[in-house]
Amino acid sequence: MKRLIFLATLLLAGFAQADIRPYVAGSLKKIEGEHRGRPFILTFWSASCAHCPTELKALGELLRQHPKLNLVIVATDTPAEGPELQRLAQSYGLAAQAQWVFADAQPERLRYEIDRRWYGELPRTYFYDRQHRRDSRSGAIPVEQLERWAGEHVK
Amino acid sequence: MVRRLLPLLAGLLMAGSVGAHGDHAQPGAAGPKVDYAKVWLEKQQNAPRLAVAATFDETGRLWLARVVGQQVFVSHSDDAGRSFSEAVAVNREPELISADGEARPQIAAIGQRIYVSWTQALPQPFAGHIRLAVSDDGGMSFGEPVTVNDDTRPITHRFNAMLADAQGVTLAWIDKRDGTGNPDYTGAAIYTARSTDGGRSFESNRKMADHSCECCRIAIAADTDGTPVALWRHIFGQNTRDFALARLDEPLRRASEDGWEIDACPHHGGALAIGRDGARHIAWFTGAEPSPGLHYRRIVGDTQTPPQRFGNLDAQAGHPQVAVHGRHVTLVWREYDGRHNLIRAMHSRDNGSRWSAPSTLTRTAGAADDPLLVSSRQALWLVWNTTANGLRTVKIKP
Repeated sequence: MKRLIFLATLLLAGFAQADIRPYVAGSLKKIEGEHRGRPFILTFWSASCAHCPTELKALGELLRQHPKLNLVIVATDTPAEGPELQRLAQSYGLAAQAQWVFADAQPERLRYEIDRRWYGELPRTYFYDRQHRRDSRSGAIPVEQLERWAGEHVK
Repeated sequence: MVRRLLPLLAGLLMAGSVGAHGDHAQPGAAGPKVDYAKVWLEKQQNAPRLAVAATFDETGRLWLARVVGQQVFVSHSDDAGRSFSEAVAVNREPELISADGEARPQIAAIGQRIYVSWTQALPQPFAGHIRLAVSDDGGMSFGEPVTVNDDTRPITHRFNAMLADAQGVTLAWIDKRDGTGNPDYTGAAIYTARSTDGGRSFESNRKMADHSCECCRIAIAADTDGTPVALWRHIFGQNTRDFALARLDEPLRRASEDGWEIDACPHHGGALAIGRDGARHIAWFTGAEPSPGLHYRRIVGDTQTPPQRFGNLDAQAGHPQVAVHGRHVTLVWREYDGRHNLIRAMHSRDNGSRWSAPSTLTRTAGAADDPLLVSSRQALWLVWNTTANGLRTVKIKP
């Protein structure tokens, strides 16, 4: 019984604090693969981007309204900052979301793979529909737009 | 279950992120400030510091400022960058120095006087001081650095630009003194300071413009009468981040009408060169539809040419520099082709009306600084700092 409780605690801890994974070349394919056949939101942010807290806060709120929302957040900082990034994400209610952090000396290489027309501005968000056609947006996204997307795609 | 990153991975790391994105006030109200401060400080401490400054003096000697650890070092080359003198430390007392992407040290060489400026990063997020140190003995030694911003609170005074001539030195930077504690204030401001005694004393800081964008480098060039002219990304209206141009102490004029409305940090400053005819040649980046990407235009008095787009949009074309000599205008910028960082160039022989096809000047397989264009009396040079190939100097043939 004790062991069960211990395991359950571990499991809960796992949910409460998702892993932060190193985002490298090929990571986008992995993320897309993990969401095959499901709509999801992919957001790039950074701890040193002034408009990102607005975005993360809105996403946290969206998640509260739509617990089934699939959301992946990728920090364009460095793995050295991983623990702090996790704490930041947690403060916006995003602790349980899939989290990644850029792990490449050349962020241009990662951006090239993600989207050749992304010039590095943050936050940057991709809305994937069920077929994984995606819409891209730069800058903090108005809450109503997030709500509309969730209303249409989160069942 | 919890796959935390190994600290080892952190050690292996390498360069910084997409860029220190902001130079903004405290993040959103819910932001836990303590954590931000920690990440900010770590970022300042671990940044790769690839950004260098270079200039030719009137004798054709190339001067270089680069940041190693917490010091700026100055060296010079009499063979245009093939070999350099032993580097001299500018600030003997180490301090955190911003030297990546848009945040760059600056250098100017006027006779025996060498001016070096940089932004000291403070532990508080987005905070800095504008620093200047001067050598009066041809770069053999430097005086104690001074802080040029006369508001000394730990807030944004960052993205130093500098212009010097025989009459003095002018610095311009991005300053949040007006917006700090005033949430209704949009963006930041451009402040300037001028010294006419070789940097020993400065007149009071002067505000050049309210409501600049917060995190793009400022371009500065001398007008035909020597007056500094600045080009920066401005916030027009509520949130339109296009470019503005102004002579020192004169009202700004809008320099681009892209209409880039964005709640984000573009981190893409503009480039400015002024011909002997007074024409302003500017190059800039916008993400605005229907014409995102790099653009060039010439501004003469009240007239301006339509923006001309250049660079490969699918190769992250960005961070341009422009130079003018007589009727020859040169543009360089960086691109990434999936494997290499490239420096691309194109030329005009008719003051910017018609342009050559772009060509590749040089490339590197690793991380790289943005390109610099520096003029000697005889020629124009690309100076480019790279991780894999060191500092490159390439003579540009028009």
